[in-house]
Amino acid sequence: MPALGTFTLLATFVVASYALAASIAGGRRRSRALIESGVGAFYMTAALMAVASGIIIHAFVTDNYAIKYVQRYSDVAQPLAYKITSYWGGLDGSIMFWVLLLSVFGTIAVASNRERHRELIPWVVAIMAATEMFFIFIMVVHNNPFDTFVASAPAEGKGLNPLLQNFYMAIHPPSLYTGFVAMTIPYAFGMAALITGHLDDAWLRAVRRWTMIGWLFLTFGLTLGMLWAYEELGWGGFWGWDPVENAGLLPWFTATAFLHSVMVQERRGMLRVWNVTLVITTFFLTIFGTFMTRSGVVQSVHAFGEDRWLAGLFSGFMILLLTFSFAYVIYRLPLLKSRHELDSWFSREAAFLANNWILLFSAFFILFATMFPTLSEAVRGQRLTVGPPFFNQWMRPIGLVLLVLTGIAPLLAWKKSTLSNLVQQFTWPVAALIVTGAAVFALGIRVWSSGICFALCAFVGATILQEFIRGASVRKGASGSDYFTALVGLVARQQRRYGGYIVHLGIVLMFLGFAGQGYKQEKDMQLNPGEQNSVAGFTVRHDSIAVTSDDQKQMITGHVTVFRNGKQLAQMAPARWFFAKHESQPTTEVAIRRAPGEDVYIVLAAYDIGTQNATYAVTVNPLVDWIWLGFGILAIGTGIALLPERAFAFAGARVPEGVVTTSLLLLMLLLPGVARAQTVIQKDALRQQLEGDLMCTCGGCLAPMNNCPMAGACHGLKEQREKVNRMIDQGMTREQIKAAFVREHGGVDVLSAPPDEGFNRLAWALPYVAGATGAALVGLVAYRWTRRPAMPDAPAAAGAEVPVEDALAARLDDELRDLD
Amino acid sequence: MTSKAIKIALTCVVLAAALGGLMYTTLSEGTEYYIHVDEVMQNPSAWQGKKLQLHGFVADLRQRPNSLDYKFDVQFNGKIIPATYTGVVPDTFKNASEVVLKGQLHDGAFAVEPNGVMAKCPSKYNPQSAAGS
Repeated sequence: MPALGTFTLLATFVVASYALAASIAGGRRRSRALIESGVGAFYMTAALMAVASGIIIHAFVTDNYAIKYVQRYSDVAQPLAYKITSYWGGLDGSIMFWVLLLSVFGTIAVASNRERHRELIPWVVAIMAATEMFFIFIMVVHNNPFDTFVASAPAEGKGLNPLLQNFYMAIHPPSLYTGFVAMTIPYAFGMAALITGHLDDAWLRAVRRWTMIGWLFLTFGLTLGMLWAYEELGWGGFWGWDPVENAGLLPWFTATAFLHSVMVQERRGMLRVWNVTLVITTFFLTIFGTFMTRSGVVQSVHAFGEDRWLAGLFSGFMILLLTFSFAYVIYRLPLLKSRHELDSWFSREAAFLANNWILLFSAFFILFATMFPTLSEAVRGQRLTVGPPFFNQWMRPIGLVLLVLTGIAPLLAWKKSTLSNLVQQFTWPVAALIVTGAAVFALGIRVWSSGICFALCAFVGATILQEFIRGASVRKGASGSDYFTALVGLVARQQRRYGGYIVHLGIVLMFLGFAGQGYKQEKDMQLNPGEQNSVAGFTVRHDSIAVTSDDQKQMITGHVTVFRNGKQLAQMAPARWFFAKHESQPTTEVAIRRAPGEDVYIVLAAYDIGTQNATYAVTVNPLVDWIWLGFGILAIGTGIALLPERAFAFAGARVPEGVVTTSLLLLMLLLPGVARAQTVIQKDALRQQLEGDLMCTCGGCLAPMNNCPMAGACHGLKEQREKVNRMIDQGMTREQIKAAFVREHGGVDVLSAPPDEGFNRLAWALPYVAGATGAALVGLVAYRWTRRPAMPDAPAAAGAEVPVEDALAARLDDELRDLD
Repeated sequence: MTSKAIKIALTCVVLAAALGGLMYTTLSEGTEYYIHVDEVMQNPSAWQGKKLQLHGFVADLRQRPNSLDYKFDVQFNGKIIPATYTGVVPDTFKNASEVVLKGQLHDGAFAVEPNGVMAKCPSKYNPQSAAGS
C-alpha cells in the first residue's frame, strides 16, 4: 500500500507537469486540443490525489504502522474519527491535504468557468498546476507521508497529540486550509488575466465568489481556532497573537480588503492595480503563513521543527512567485489605468480606500510584529520579542477605526456625498452612538477601549438597521406589498449588498465579545473540600476530587458548585485527563458555564487526591459567547451574498436554486452536530461505559463503579450493578441511565465526569439554531412571496409612479444605481 | 496633477512619519529580550531590571505546601539562575522541562511575572516533542 501511495504522488507530479506544459503551449499556440488535454490532465490530478488520500486514510483506519506517518499520529485506541483526522494532523499529511483541496477546488473552478472565460483557462490551469507541483515536490523528496520504516515496523502507534484530540481541532485545520487554498484560485485567475492582457472586469467576476468562499472558510477556521484555544488550552482567553494564529489572520485582512475594493473597481473602474496587487498579496500571504508555521523561522511557543531544507524551498518559491507576479503587474500597467479619479473624500470609494489602507496596514503590522524576533536577531544579533500587549496596543485602535468605517462607508454615496445627504444618513446612528456611550459611562464601565467599542457597536448596528428599514419602506411603497415581504424582497434582490450588511452585523457582535475581554476577571483559588471563594460576584465552592478512567485515559475531576447572590447556579466539573502514552502531558478539561452576559470558566489547576485539596483558576469572561454567535450571523450573511445572482432575478421561478444553496451551506454548518450524534453502542460496551460514568454509591470510596477499592466486599456496588443492568435491558440509553441516577441520587456528583456535553454544546449550538431558524424564516417568506402571481418587477419599474418622500426618493436613486 | 502628486506624497510622508514614530516608541516599551540563561550569566548586571523572556530548563522545583508559590532553578548550558513564581503553572511545567519565563532579574534572582510561565508546548508538526515519552 505505501508503495502505491508514493507511486500515486509521483504520478500526480508527472500529470501536473503535463498539465502545466500542455496549458502553456496550448495557450500560446491557441491550440484548442492542447488546452483541452491540459484541462483534462488537471482534472486527473484531482482524481489521483483522491486516490492517494484514500490510501492514507485506509492506512490510518487499518492501523498500518509500517508507515511512519501513521505510526506517529495514530494508535489503536484512538476513536475512528480522530484516526481519519490524523490525516492532516502532521506536516506531511497536511501538505498532501492541501494539494487534494487545491486540485478539487481547481477542478470545480475550471469546470464552472470554462465557457465563460475561455481565454483565461489555459493560464489558470498552468498556475494551479505549478502550485500543485511545488507542494507535491516537497512531499516526494522531503516529507513523503507514505515513508515506511526501513527495518521492522513498531507494533503500536504513538497516538495523536491529546491536545489535538478535540472536536474543534478535527475541523479547524481543514477549514483554515480550505480558506487558504481557495485563495489560490483568485490568484490563478488574476495572473491569467495579467498574462493574457484580458484585464477588463471579467476576471473579477470569476474571482469574487471564490474569494468570498475562501474568506468564509478562513473566518470559520479562525473562529474555530479561538474556540479551541478557549475550551481546550485553559488560559481563559482565545487569542494570544501566536505566530500560528497570526499566519491565518494575515491573508484574512488582505482578502477582506479585496472584497471591498473589488466593488470600487466594478462600480467606478478604479483601483485596478490595487486589486491585482491584493489578490497576489493574499496568495503570497497564504504561502508565507504556511512557511512561517512549518519552517520554524519564527520562534514560537508552538516551536516548529527547525528545517532549513524546507525553509529554503519555500523561500525560493516565494521569491519566484513575487518576482513573476509583480513583473507582470508592471508589464501590464498601461492596461490597468483607472477609468476615473477620486471625486471627493466624502464618497464611498474614498471610505473603501481608507478601509483598504487600514486592513493592509494591519496585515503588514502583524507580519512585522510576528517576524520581529527574527528580524531583530538578524539585524542586531539579539532576539527581541514583542508580546500580546504590543499587538493589543496597536490592534485595538485599528480595530475601532475599522469598526467606524464599517458603519460610515455603506452610508456614503458613490462619487460624492452632499451635506444634507450626510445629515440625513447619520442623525440616528450618531444619536445611538451618544446614548450608548452615555449609558456605558453611567454604568461605570471605565475601560476606555471597551466603552468606545460598545458605543461604536451601537452606531454601526444603527446604520445597518436604518439601511434595512429605509430600504424596506422604499420597496414597500414601490411594490405595495407588506413590510416583511418587502424586507425579504430587498435582501433577495440585492443579496450582495444586504448579505454584506448581515456580515457587518456579525462583525459587530464579534466586536462586542472582544470588548468584553476588557474587563474580564480572574482569580486563583486554593480550596479544601467545603471551602469557597468569590470572584466578580460568583462564589465557587469546592466539593470533592474524583479519579476515574476509561480505556483511553485517566481522569481527575474536581467537583465544584457555583453560586451567585447565594443562589446555586451550577455544578461544574473541571478535569485533568491523562491520555495513555501521553501521561506527561495531561490535558486540561475546562468547565465552562455559558451565558450571554458572561461565562464562568473554571480550570482545575492543581490538586492533591490525598487531602482532596484543589486549586482552581476561575475566570469570569464577559460577553465572550457573542463572538461565536457573531460568526454564525456572519456565515449566514456570506451565504446570502454568495447565492447565485440569477437565483433571485425572477424570484418566483428560481427560488428553489437559492434554497438548495442555502440548505447546503447550512447543512455544512450543521454537519458537526450530526456527526456527533452517530454513535451506536452495544450493551456490553454500554455497561462498561456506565461503570466508568457512575460513582460507586457504597459511600466513602470516591471512585467510579469499575474502580471501587472495596469491590467484592461492597454490597452496595452489587445492587447498583444490577440496577444498571436492568436499565440497560429496558433499552435505556447511557444518558437516560445517568439521568436516572442523578435524579435518584439528587445531584450530579454521582457522575464521575462532568455532564458538560449537553449544556455546553447547547450554547455552542446557538448560532446554528439561530441560523437554521433564520433560514427557515427566509424560506417561509420566500415561499409566501413567490405565490404572489404577478409582482411588478422591482422598484425600477414602479419607482417613478409611486409618490415617495424626498428623502426616500434619493434613496431610491441610490438603490437603482446599485442594481447590476 | 503635479500639485496633487505633491499633496499625496506629503500626506504619505506625514502618515509614515507619524506611524513610524508611534511604532518606535511603543516598540521600545513592548519589547522583551528573548535570551538564554547562559547568555544572561555572562554579564548579569547588564540585564538587571530589563524585561526578559528567559529560556532554559527547570530544575530543583519546589512548591510551598498549600500555596501556589514556586521556587526553582532555570538552567541552560550549565549556568543556573534561581527563580520564583506565584500562580498556576502549565501541566508540562516540572523538573527538566523546557520553559520560557517572562519576568525580570533582580539581585541575581529571576522574578517571573503573573502568567509568565510558558512551557514549550507540543506541536503537531514536531514529532520529537509531541511524542512526549
